[in-house]
Amino acid sequence: MRRMSIASLALMGIFLALYLTLYKLGYIGHLACGLGSCERVNTSVWATFMHLPVAAWGVGFYVVTFVVALWGTSAAWIERREPAIVLTFLTTVGLLFSAWLTYLEVYVIGAICRFCVGSALLVFLIWVLSLADLRAYPRPDGVAPRA
Amino acid sequence: MAKNTPPANARTGTRRPSSNRGGNNRSVFYGVLIAIVVLGVAAIFYLAKRPATTTADQDAAYEALQKNYANAGPPQPHVLGNPNAPVTIEEFADFECPSCGRFATITEPDVRKNIINTGQAFYKYYDFPLPGHRNSQAASNAAACAEEQGKFWEMHDQLFGGQDQWGLSASETGQVTDDPKPIFEGFAKTIGLDVAKWDQCFDSHKYQSRIDANAAEGFRRHVNETPTFYINGKIAVGAQSYDDMQKLVDAAKADTVAKSSATSANQKATVPRTGVTDTTKH
Repeated sequence: MRRMSIASLALMGIFLALYLTLYKLGYIGHLACGLGSCERVNTSVWATFMHLPVAAWGVGFYVVTFVVALWGTSAAWIERREPAIVLTFLTTVGLLFSAWLTYLEVYVIGAICRFCVGSALLVFLIWVLSLADLRAYPRPDGVAPRA
Repeated sequence: MAKNTPPANARTGTRRPSSNRGGNNRSVFYGVLIAIVVLGVAAIFYLAKRPATTTADQDAAYEALQKNYANAGPPQPHVLGNPNAPVTIEEFADFECPSCGRFATITEPDVRKNIINTGQAFYKYYDFPLPGHRNSQAASNAAACAEEQGKFWEMHDQLFGGQDQWGLSASETGQVTDDPKPIFEGFAKTIGLDVAKWDQCFDSHKYQSRIDANAAEGFRRHVNETPTFYINGKIAVGAQSYDDMQKLVDAAKADTVAKSSATSANQKATVPRTGVTDTTKH
């Protein structure tokens, strides 16, 4: 159930990040950002990372997370710990990156993009579920999970 | 207790957590995924097609503008060329309007070179920021502040040439940015303005009344589309081609010549007989 929830949240994240990527690439002219300043954030120098839009990195992150979570729900892997390890690693990296972006929004750019905040919340939720999933499986040394 | 009794298959990490069990969950799960995909695609399409401002918003803004401009003072257009030229071209334009941008970047350079610089026409530019173009007022402000340093036309060219950086998006459903000032600041640097001075002027909005007065002039003439031109008072709506503009100027010149000839003829006709007599005497 946890991995299914992770996959569902990651799929939502794909669409959210895809929307921002399409905007950044010029396919969508106006961000539907009633509150905050999405366009200021997404047109800032910080909206590009290693020659790619940050939102495109987000699409990549959510796609990989979705695939791993889906893989973790398959009959062959549902009872195994490995998908939980990969998910925890992935989402920890995602969470740190997301925290850095939120810091930039608040303290450097001085504008808040609600889609970015939404994405940060999604990453946080996925991370919490990944941790819970990891804790639900025993470690290879045979120590049982605490939960 | 748990530490002493690990699951039988703990070495391979194959304990079966109850939360991931269940065939019923799986069908619900796939249903949820399909729902997310459908909603996600629909949401992106909806948001992408949604206009930045509704027609009702624009109408309300237009009415508000008319009220605001009711007490505007006399217009102060930005001018170029010889004020004594036989033809006057007046343009009502919006810096964010794509048609105005096309005219300014494609046609206007030739108009300046062949019509204005040759003394055939005097050019007047009136700000006519349209409601719904959120950065247009700011662009007029940027241009007015550039004029303070004698570089209105340079800023005019930068603004129109760089519309894609600050104006309407490619789909024309919204703005590329809601904070155009840093881009205008870049234009100010490019054309060699004293940026600190320009910056101070931009923030003070000291030329707002001039922008309003120019727009008010457009309202008085019932301009409802940009660009709108008046060539010696004769209206031409929309971005004109160079050939069309030359024809309009030629027609205005011919009209001016015809009128002045007619005036001269009238003057001759009213010359006192004594004058005629004097001439014949010589």
